[in-house]
Amino acid sequence: MKRKSIFGAIGLGLVASIIAASCGGSSSSSSSGGAPKKGGTVHILTMGEQIAHLDPQRNYTGTDLAFAASTMQRTLTSYKYAEGDAGSEITADLATDTGTVTNEGKTWAFTLGDGATFEDGSAITCADVAYGVSRTFATDIITDGPTYAISYIDVADYPGPYKATAEQQAAFDKAVNCVDKTITFNLKVPVADFNYTTTLTSFSPVPKALDTGEKYDMKPVSSGPYKIESYEIGKSLVLVRNDKWDQASDPIRHAYADSIVYDFGLDPSVIDERMIKDAGDDQFAVSESIQPENLPTIFDNDAYKNRRVDYYDPFVSYTNLSVKNLSCLDVRKALYLALDRDALRKAGGGPYTGDYADGFIKPALALDYAKSKMLDGLKEDGTANVEAAQAAMDAAKVSCPDVAKHAADGLVYYYPDTPVWAKAIAIWIESEAKVGITIKGSPVEASKYWPTVMNPDTNYDIVRGGWAPDWANASTVIPELFSTSGGFNLTRNADDPDYAAFEAAVTAAKGDLDRVSQGKKWQELNQYVVDRLWALPGTFLKAQSIWGSKVGNTYQWGPYGSFNFGELSIK
Amino acid sequence: MSNTAAPVLSVQNLRVSFDTQDGTVRAVDDISFDVYAGETICIVGESGSGKSVMAGSIMRLNNSSTATTEGKILVNGIDVLTASEEEVRGIRGSEVAMIFQDPMSALNPYFTIGKQIAEAYVVHHPGASKREVHDVVLAMMIKVGIPSPEKRIDEYPHQFSGGMRQRIVIAIALVNNPKILIADEPTTALDVTVQAQILDLMMSLQKEFGMTIILITHDLGVVAEVAQDVIVMYAGHIVEQSHVDALFHSPTHPYSWGLLGSVASYGANKRGDLYTISGSPPSLISLPAGCAFHPRCVHSKGSGNACMTVQPKLRDVGTDGSRSACHLTDDVLISIGRGSDRS
Amino acid sequence: MFLFVVRRLFFAVVLLLAVSVFTYLLFALLPTDPAALSCGIHCKPETVLANRIRLGYDKPILEQYWHFLRGIFVGRDYGFGQTAFSCPAPSLGYSFNQHACVTALIGETFPVTAFLAIGAFVLWMIIGIGVGAIAALNKGKWQDRFATGFAAVGVSLPTFYIGLLVLFSVVIWFQILPFPSYESPLDNFSAFITAMILPWLVLAVLSAASYTRLTRNGMLEAMNEDFVRLGVAKGLRLRVILSRYVMRQALIPIVTIAGLDFAGLLGGAIITESVFSLPGMGRMSIRAVVDSDLPVLVGTTMVAAVFIVLANVIVDITYGFLDPRVRVS
Repeated sequence: MKRKSIFGAIGLGLVASIIAASCGGSSSSSSSGGAPKKGGTVHILTMGEQIAHLDPQRNYTGTDLAFAASTMQRTLTSYKYAEGDAGSEITADLATDTGTVTNEGKTWAFTLGDGATFEDGSAITCADVAYGVSRTFATDIITDGPTYAISYIDVADYPGPYKATAEQQAAFDKAVNCVDKTITFNLKVPVADFNYTTTLTSFSPVPKALDTGEKYDMKPVSSGPYKIESYEIGKSLVLVRNDKWDQASDPIRHAYADSIVYDFGLDPSVIDERMIKDAGDDQFAVSESIQPENLPTIFDNDAYKNRRVDYYDPFVSYTNLSVKNLSCLDVRKALYLALDRDALRKAGGGPYTGDYADGFIKPALALDYAKSKMLDGLKEDGTANVEAAQAAMDAAKVSCPDVAKHAADGLVYYYPDTPVWAKAIAIWIESEAKVGITIKGSPVEASKYWPTVMNPDTNYDIVRGGWAPDWANASTVIPELFSTSGGFNLTRNADDPDYAAFEAAVTAAKGDLDRVSQGKKWQELNQYVVDRLWALPGTFLKAQSIWGSKVGNTYQWGPYGSFNFGELSIK
Repeated sequence: MSNTAAPVLSVQNLRVSFDTQDGTVRAVDDISFDVYAGETICIVGESGSGKSVMAGSIMRLNNSSTATTEGKILVNGIDVLTASEEEVRGIRGSEVAMIFQDPMSALNPYFTIGKQIAEAYVVHHPGASKREVHDVVLAMMIKVGIPSPEKRIDEYPHQFSGGMRQRIVIAIALVNNPKILIADEPTTALDVTVQAQILDLMMSLQKEFGMTIILITHDLGVVAEVAQDVIVMYAGHIVEQSHVDALFHSPTHPYSWGLLGSVASYGANKRGDLYTISGSPPSLISLPAGCAFHPRCVHSKGSGNACMTVQPKLRDVGTDGSRSACHLTDDVLISIGRGSDRS
Repeated sequence: MFLFVVRRLFFAVVLLLAVSVFTYLLFALLPTDPAALSCGIHCKPETVLANRIRLGYDKPILEQYWHFLRGIFVGRDYGFGQTAFSCPAPSLGYSFNQHACVTALIGETFPVTAFLAIGAFVLWMIIGIGVGAIAALNKGKWQDRFATGFAAVGVSLPTFYIGLLVLFSVVIWFQILPFPSYESPLDNFSAFITAMILPWLVLAVLSAASYTRLTRNGMLEAMNEDFVRLGVAKGLRLRVILSRYVMRQALIPIVTIAGLDFAGLLGGAIITESVFSLPGMGRMSIRAVVDSDLPVLVGTTMVAAVFIVLANVIVDITYGFLDPRVRVS
């Protein structure tokens, strides 16, 4: 929701996974002495009309995942309930540990702990987890969720539990099998970080008898400390304590507040005004977003310093270049050097929107990030270097005259037909014109933008991009964005002479079970792409939140880039 | 004007003016006259001469927020202009009733005619039983000549013709047996054939009820037929007041000559010419100085500068009780008025 | 009268059909692809196709419309096996965005809109006609100048900003009322009133402005009517003149406009509902536009149309009742 205002629909389906290093406002929330109190009601104020999806297998939005995982949907493994770097480490949740990997990364086993129950009091079994996972395959009903189960689990032609024949179901049960309390996942390919994948609520248990398919979204069965008391779209979602939840069975959740209430459908200016005023029940409220016009009020005034945060959210924005059409590094360099990134950022809202990116992996992915060496001549203040760009363009006229001519004739830039993007494209056109590159904007109706550019028949030269890792590993960034098998590769780089080496290095990194060594590989691959400019790094995006003076535990939970809602407490 | 009984209506020094954005309109300027029981008095004059405003004042119908009224209007000894609202309401419809020019718009379109007649009766007979009211209404409808009244009592005004509606208005006016009936051009809006019927009806009802009729009209034919006394108004003033015969045989004001001259049967002189008045009525906001009629009067040079500077007072002229507001001498007025030399 | 009603009802049904056909056609022409709205950057062409099938937009528009029409009479079934569910007749379809049958959604949101509309309507008629009448009776005096000013300003004030201003001042800055949170009057009457009072007032005061002008002008016009003079000449009391003569006349145009305004409100007071976070039908319909949620869009449009048709019939009947000249014989 909050990103939409700045960059249009980046898409709901991004899970964040990186630590939000606080920046600007200091967040002193969790440090004030003593354990948080129990009791009280926390309110979450939002302009949204509902939670996009509460069905665990359909939930794929950072904030919603943080909300559901911390309150109602236990997973095999979880991110630690902690602020800062610690929050992106995984820990056991329903399982007794973070999993056992064998078979060179192709077999993962988790053993369930004792005492965990659903809200009706029935014990959570291995079969419930397997059933939950199987729902992801029913793509005709269970839509919008992450599909890692389908890509990874070694089963073919499985249509999900609703339509499966006995044989199909047997095949799935073999791929995901239960022996007592131990669930074993047999994967098609080695996945070194599958225990990160299992932090997604799409790996949460669902009791088969209570599955209502399409309607499960409205009243999923809780396995966590809270359960739904009422859910009225456009009005409110009220969570109350799940009295069947046993603290002893849950190694990570504390459930301080007695009740958590989502208040939907509020005008954003009303939310800001209420949060600024901080009176009455609003002292117990949190808000995930701040209107741009209210940012100076909140961030330039010390009165709010203990209840505000300006942090990196998990998103990176960038620009895809069609390497197929622009098969000339000099032209790609000229494009980047000539671009007035400063003007673009100002048009988007200035420094609060984020910092200039030095690649595609955010610093918060600490193991996978290293500062990249950027292109020679690229200015740190984001302004254009027309001289250097012209030099690159002149070089291109010699090294690859066809591509240089194509750039001069006109590069087609597909963009979503929104006012924000119309403004951005105007800046592109103006910037590139200074070095003789012509940009031809091609607007696409916003809802059709991604299907259009993802269609291989669409012949673009430039398209926008925006991404957040699905979990705290650059394995969900570099391969996704630049490998031909990646889900969001818009660079059309398959024929680049350097691609084969890249692909080999990606495969090696994916299979590296040593996390530190793997991180090193991602750092190198990030630099590899930055050097070749298959895509132009844009902005490490930032977000801002504010909370009421009587809310505790308001840390930003790195992997999701949001509050850890289930842990919010009343002071 | 030799009546010795007290007048049923006495208008004394009545002035009515309206404040408008363009200035003060002196619609009625210092007029006085008495009306006696049972007589029919006609008020004639061009549109805008103040007839209707004057008539409205008698029932205090003029808009009080814009109109300024001075003088006295005595009905039954009560000064209508200063009486309480309650007292005036007692007079309206009961002592003095009114018939309007356009029967098409004078009836409330949202109620049956039975209700509207009944309403007029009940307001002055609060204790009347339903039965009694119903009987009175039916009787009134019969009296004013509405056929099959039993059936038509529950019909709405739009279901009646113009003539029938005027009969209903008359029924409303007479249901309380008022002493005075003010009829403001009651036949102007009607078909010629119907006009006579309505006039006849009024006259016959006058005989039956014995009320005084103040008939405002510009139809001199009507005046000749029904009036006893005639008041001629011009620009808010009374310019002549005469017995009807005197007016028609020897009008004593140049304006009256003109009025009569515009009716062929009375106005043609011996040579058969029509005497006409040139020009148009003056603006009531800025009346000419002196006699308001002087710019249109062919005789205005006959009295030196007086016509241009001095407003003539109403005075007796001759011996037949005529009164006139003109600076010309009686002899001149009488001789010209008799038709010897109107041109 | 019976024939009149039958004719009107027949006309209403035809109109509703036309409205639904029109909504379907308009929807088909919209540039937005409803199947691509939920997947964002995961919208690969095959995902979009799968979504289109799931939502039922893959079928020819005529077939979709046939299912819709049929559903009104026999209900509709969705899903299969364990996940099967149905929207019983009269079904207006199922919203995959809100996971509920459209009929049920309207059943939940319409009362909110109706309560908002009724309360505001009653208030604004009282304020509008009251102030207008006072102005007419005091023409040219300060009351009249105030009322005329109120009418001129009120008509031009934007509901959104005035609503926000009232909400900010009364609820947030001065904390006179708690933040409105809608409750059904049957469950919690005082909370209901607390939540409704501001939206009622804002809507009423702003809408009253044009009624003030209508009433004032209508009354002044009526006061000049001959029949009103005759009423005075009859010796009737002022109160009677005003009610039976002046108001009766002045009310007629007001009834027409009020009927249509009220019907429009019942279709959803979009801005007021949004500012005050009332879970009404107007907000739902706007959301349906944003989400390209055809079933909700058609459903709310048809409900709005029903009320406009109904309002027209009621206005016509009232009109005939108020004015015998147009009464049907």
